[in-house]
Formats: sequence, structure tokens, C-alpha cells
Amino acid sequence: MIEAPSPAAETALALPRGQALWHGLRANPLLVAGGLTAVLIIVVALFAPLLAPFPGDAGTATHPFLVLRPPSTRHLFGTDQVGRDVLSRVLYGARISPLVAVIVLLIACVVGIPLGIAAGYFGGWVDEVIMRVTDIFLAFPSLLLALALAAVLPASLTSLTIAIAATWWPWYTRLIRGQAASVSGRAYIDSCRVLGIRPWRIILRHVLPNSVTPLTVQVSLDVGGVILTASALSFLGLGAQDPTPDWGLMVAEGQNYFTTDWWVVTFPGIAILVTAFAFNLLGDGLRDLLDPKRSLLP
Amino acid sequence: MKPHRAGLLASGSALLVLLAACGGSSHPASQKQSGNQVFTYDTSAPVMVDGWDPATEYSDGILAMSNMYETLTRYDAATHTIKPQLATSWSSSANGLSWTFHLRHGVHFHTGRLMTAQAAAAAILRTQKMGGGAGYVWDAVKTISAPSPDTMVFHLKYASPLDLEASASYSAYIYDTQAAGGGSLTKWLNTPHDAGTGPYTLQTWNKGQEFEVILKAFPGYWGGWSGAHYKKVVYRVVPQDTTAAQLLRSGQVDFVEQISPALWKSFQGQAGIHTMSVPSFQNLLSQLNARTLTLPVRQAISYGINYPGIVAALQGAAVTPSGLVPAGLPGHFTNLPNYHYDPAKADQLLHQAGYGPGKKTLNLTLTYTQGDSNEQVVVTLLKSSLAKLNINLSTQSLAWPTQWAKAKSASASSHQSIFLEYWWPDYADPYTWFTNLLQTEKSPYFNLSYYSSSALDKQINQVESLLATNRPAGVQLYRTMQAEVLQQAPLDVLYNVNYQYAMRTSFTGFQPDPAYANVVFAYNLRPTGS
Repeated sequence: MIEAPSPAAETALALPRGQALWHGLRANPLLVAGGLTAVLIIVVALFAPLLAPFPGDAGTATHPFLVLRPPSTRHLFGTDQVGRDVLSRVLYGARISPLVAVIVLLIACVVGIPLGIAAGYFGGWVDEVIMRVTDIFLAFPSLLLALALAAVLPASLTSLTIAIAATWWPWYTRLIRGQAASVSGRAYIDSCRVLGIRPWRIILRHVLPNSVTPLTVQVSLDVGGVILTASALSFLGLGAQDPTPDWGLMVAEGQNYFTTDWWVVTFPGIAILVTAFAFNLLGDGLRDLLDPKRSLLP
Repeated sequence: MKPHRAGLLASGSALLVLLAACGGSSHPASQKQSGNQVFTYDTSAPVMVDGWDPATEYSDGILAMSNMYETLTRYDAATHTIKPQLATSWSSSANGLSWTFHLRHGVHFHTGRLMTAQAAAAAILRTQKMGGGAGYVWDAVKTISAPSPDTMVFHLKYASPLDLEASASYSAYIYDTQAAGGGSLTKWLNTPHDAGTGPYTLQTWNKGQEFEVILKAFPGYWGGWSGAHYKKVVYRVVPQDTTAAQLLRSGQVDFVEQISPALWKSFQGQAGIHTMSVPSFQNLLSQLNARTLTLPVRQAISYGINYPGIVAALQGAAVTPSGLVPAGLPGHFTNLPNYHYDPAKADQLLHQAGYGPGKKTLNLTLTYTQGDSNEQVVVTLLKSSLAKLNINLSTQSLAWPTQWAKAKSASASSHQSIFLEYWWPDYADPYTWFTNLLQTEKSPYFNLSYYSSSALDKQINQVESLLATNRPAGVQLYRTMQAEVLQQAPLDVLYNVNYQYAMRTSFTGFQPDPAYANVVFAYNLRPTGS
């Protein structure tokens, strides 16, 4: 059955790109909400030294005579088990988790895209070797693999980032490989080959640009996932170490106090929730916006 | 060892929390409340981590072993006296070189064999020969004779307070050395079995599981079973403080050994739960690597620690120390030349060594035991106060066996700068702080400061003998030794521990005794049925 194009789509197709984007955003308020929250988190991360009432508390400062004070006008989020201002640490934490997510996804892209493109474009034994290695990584639950890697590395943010990145790239390789294989079979690619254009030029000029759109959506969706994974590993003591104001670590260190001094874990927990949720909304929205079947963009 | 009152991986804790949340236990012990015959002791770390041999066990096994095995005497911290146990009376010669113990009649080992003077002597001589755990408590013993089945005579190499040493919480147990027949007793014990005379005997050991050790009443116990007694004792391993607190609230455990000060306070005034805070003989030590840290640096670190801050942050679980020896033990003095928090003095000493603010950063490593929330707080505070002195403290939390193995490794390069551990005495005496922690060792074992002083070694070798023959002089020597240790700063006492117990009101009879760290003598408890 051939579906008749919807009137909305027809209108959008007729609109200039700027207006279509505006229509797209208006049609997806959750994307706007996610985007604005993500921007807010980035702003908080950038201006944490100015926003935090006690910037030193995000570092090595402690106040042992002020431990576990409930929220008050002086300490809006209360103080933790060594007297540090929880608000200041939560604000500075915005510099940790999103940054870890960005680095992890960057590494995953840097490793995953070339391998996926090579596998999809060249096929044959190159495809076999790359995809079997990928399959080995994918055979393990990613959190379990990240946990095992983080456990053998010295506990630090760097180790945490490496451990998560090592489990993330195979997904991107697989995704890109499918796209690249599909693009490589198209007639215009065959034409390029017949004309004697070098493979790397075909890949860079034609295969790569036509394969990365789904990855863009996937990366935006994965930011929240990486933040949650990083928080989980820090919670297990395998990531950032005190006094780094990592949200997962703050929840881990405060777990013994959550029934008596709720604020120690609640606020960093909310920060994780809000950040992961915001980036998930952003990813969902971008998917809708960039999906040719659903998008209003020309 | 010993220094360990907590210590599971945080990951393990989280998984246990998750598993606990996912479903209830199907273990029979979890249904024990109906019969009111089972006493459940909640501990944050596995109990039997150091084997089942009563001669060498030197860790948290004391919690269970003290209910399976008995010693000749038992120390009573409330009255500072030594009470009869397997020995009903004893006396020593005027020169302290000969001790006679009269044994209780009709005591049987769990193997069925009658405990006689010969059997008791065999146990002590085996423990002494093996030399593991706290076997040094029998170091003074030259020979033991048994002139009658219920009389033991000890002949000593040098004067020593044998009645006190015989009350030790480690390596002083009397057990049946014939339990394995012709086979290896150690192997038989580690199967595991027990060969003690105590009120309880081993029923089950579930290694690595939550309901780790289950003891059952020994019907032939010499004290008898008339009156109200618990018939079973369960040691339940719950690493997470919050989970332990919930189990206590819901009546699934009767006694919680260790809990964060905040949670402990939350139980105060709560119906059905009784809280108790008692001074202990336990302290938290930071052992400073004397091989790599020079004297001014060690002293600077000692001045750079915010001791009042640590005590304040631990909210009642910690007491300001004075010297190495906690209050209640001979050799405790309140007027020793202790270190106090003095950043200016620390700064001055560091400058002498070429470090300090504005100079080269001093990078140090510290290891501590995983899973102890109080240690975690202390480490954060240490890091904070030393950072002000331009000392960068890199900390590593490790499971106790790993922490210890790393510290006593033959490779000095793997040794830490600061080793954090709890210490408590093997019997009510300060000797262990000196002989175990500070006496020269060829290969590191517990002297994890790697400290060596021939003068101190000599004093350590004299002190117990002096204490037995001339108590005031012995006590004074302990003062001199502590002054030297404070001056040389191979270790810092960060605080003395206050035991904060929380328990159900469904029993009476619990008498905490710091000489037996965190032990509940279950036979003395009286279940009330409430």
C-alpha cells in the first residue's frame, strides 16, 4: 500500500530549513526541555566556581565540626559526613559526569567509526575479523565488562573513562558497519570505484557522511546512559576518589546516612537523575528531528 | 592479624543490598524469631577469615570462638580482676617463676574427651610450638607439669603475669589435641570442626554467605542448660550499616556490632531497642613508614593531623587518645607528650625537610580497610588536613588481606607511606602495641611502620617481666616507652574507639568487656521472650 503524504509533511517540505526547524522544535516540547536542561547543566559546569557558595568544599576542604547539618539558609543542601557543603559539591559535580560522558563517547566514536566503516566498506575478511572481535566484546553485558575492567585498573576517573569506553565502541562499530555496508552497495559508490577513485577518498567523501546520521542520534541518546554507568561504577568505589565531587561517589559515601541524614545522598542522586533524563529527552528529540520518516526538516 | 572490624568490598555490599531488596532469605535462621531460641549477631565482615585452629586464629573469629572455646581464666574489665574459667583457682610463687592452676572438675571437650591437666597442657604446648596468632602469650612458659588430673604447674623462663595471659582472647584456648586421632589436627579443625569446652559447638559454616556461622548448644557443657539460654547462635554478615539497622528494627537480628554513629543515635529511645556506648581497648592507628619518611616528616605529619576534628566528626564513636595505651589498661597516662593539631609546627618541620607550602609537594600513599565508614571519614579528614601542608595523600581502600599482604610484601617499593588499622590487645595489657607493632622485625608482619630501635626492643623485652615482679616499675617503663614512641613518631593514635552497640531488648545479661573486643558471650544472655 502506498501511503499518501500527510498535509503537515507537505507543508514542512515546502518550508525553508529555519522555519522547519522551528516547527520541529514546537512539535517536540520534550526536546526543548531536555535541550534547555542540558544547556543549564553545561552553564552550571562552566560557572561552578561562581555559583558554588563554598568552592573549597569541592576540593580538599573539610569542616569536621559541621558534619551532617540539615539544609538551612547557609547550606541549602546541608553538609556531608565531613562537613562539606553538599550544594557546592553537587554544582562542581556537573563538571565531572557530563565530561566523563563526552570523553567516553568521543573515544567510542574515534575507535568505533573507523572500524565500522572499514568493515562495512571492505567486507570480506576485514569485516569478519572486525565483527568477530566486536562480537566478543558484545557477548559480555557492558556494565559487567566495565566493572571488571575498572576493578583491575587503579580507581580513578581516568580508569573509569577507559573502562566504559572499552565497552561502548563495539556498539558504534556495529551500527556504522551496517550503514556503511548499505551505502557501499549503492550505484554511485560503484561508479566512484569504476572511475578509479581511491578507497579512502570514497570513504571520506561519500560513505562516512552518509553513514553517521544514525550515530549522531545514538550518541545523544547515550550521554545519559554513560552518566548512569559512570555513577554506578563510582558508587561501587571503582571510579572517582574522594575528594572529587563525583555524584556517584557522593551517593556511595552517603549511603550509610540515607535513613538518618537524607540530604547527603538525595541531592547528588537528583543531579544524576536530572542529567540523565535531560540527555535522554534530548536524544529522543534529536532522533525524531533527524529521522527522515518523521522529521519536519527538509 | 587482627586489625579488622569491617572490610568487605563496597561492591559486595551494594550487591548484597540489592539481593536483600530483591527477596527474603530462605535460610531457617531467618525464621528464628518464632522460637526465641536463636541469638543472631550482626557483623559487618565475615567472621572466620583466619582459619579454625584455636592456636593460630587471629582475627574476627574471636566472635565465634569465644563461644566454642574457653580459657583457664577470664578478665573482668568492670572490676579489673581475673575470674575463674576452666581454672577455679591459681597461685604463683614469690618470684613469679612458678604458677599452679587448679582445674574445674567434670569438664568435657566437644569431642567427648575429659579435660584434664595433661590435655590442657598439651593444648598450650601445641599453641606455643606453633607460634601463630597470639601464641607469644605463652612465651614465658618453659615447662608444664601435671601432678594430678586437675592441677597444672607452669615453670616459667622469666616472671610473667600468667593468670592474665591465660585470659587472652586469642591463642589461650584449651582444646582437645587428640581430636583428629592420628591425623593432622590443623587439617581436621579447618574442615571445619571444633574441639573446645565452651557452651556452643559448631553446627554449620557457610563460607562467604550471609548466615556465615551457626553454633548450637553443647549438651554436655559443664555449666549446664537450666534456666533460659539461647540454644543457637547465628553470625550474620551484613556489610551495609543501613541494612543492619533495618534488620535490627524488624527483629531479624538481635545485636549489631558496628553501625555508623548517625544510625546508632537513631536507635536511642526507640521501643524494643537498647543502645550502649562503651569505652574500648581499641584504637585506630596510622603507621608511618619509618624507612621512607624521615623523623621531621613523621613528626610534621603527627602535628598536621586534626585530632579534635576526627573525634568531632565521628560523633561519639571516637575518644581523644593519650599515648598508645587506652584508658583502663596499665600504662595509660593522661599527661604524656602527645601530639596536638599544630599546622604551624608541622609547616616548620616540613620546611626543614624541604617540603611544605611553597616548597616541593610531598606525595604520600595511604592504605586503609574497605567497608568501614568511620575509616572512610578519617581518611577524608587526613587528606584534607595534610593538603594544607602541601602533602598530597593518595589513598587506597583495600580488602584487609590485600592491604596487609601489600604492607608486609618483601618488595619495599610496594609499601605504603601510611598504613591505617585498628588495634586492640590480646589480653588486658598494653604489651601487644609494643611487641607486635614496634619491635624490630626481620620480615614485616605487624610492624608496618618498619620501625627499628634497639633501645625500644630492649625495653619491650624487659617490660612484662618487670610488670609481674615490680608493677609500679613496669608501668613506669610503659610510660618511658610511650614517650620515646611519641618522640620518634613511627605511628599515630588517631582516636580510641567507643563501641556503640545496638541490640533488641528481647534478652538481658550482656556485659561488654573491652578485653574481648565485640564478643558477646551468648551463654550469659537470658532471652526474655519479649
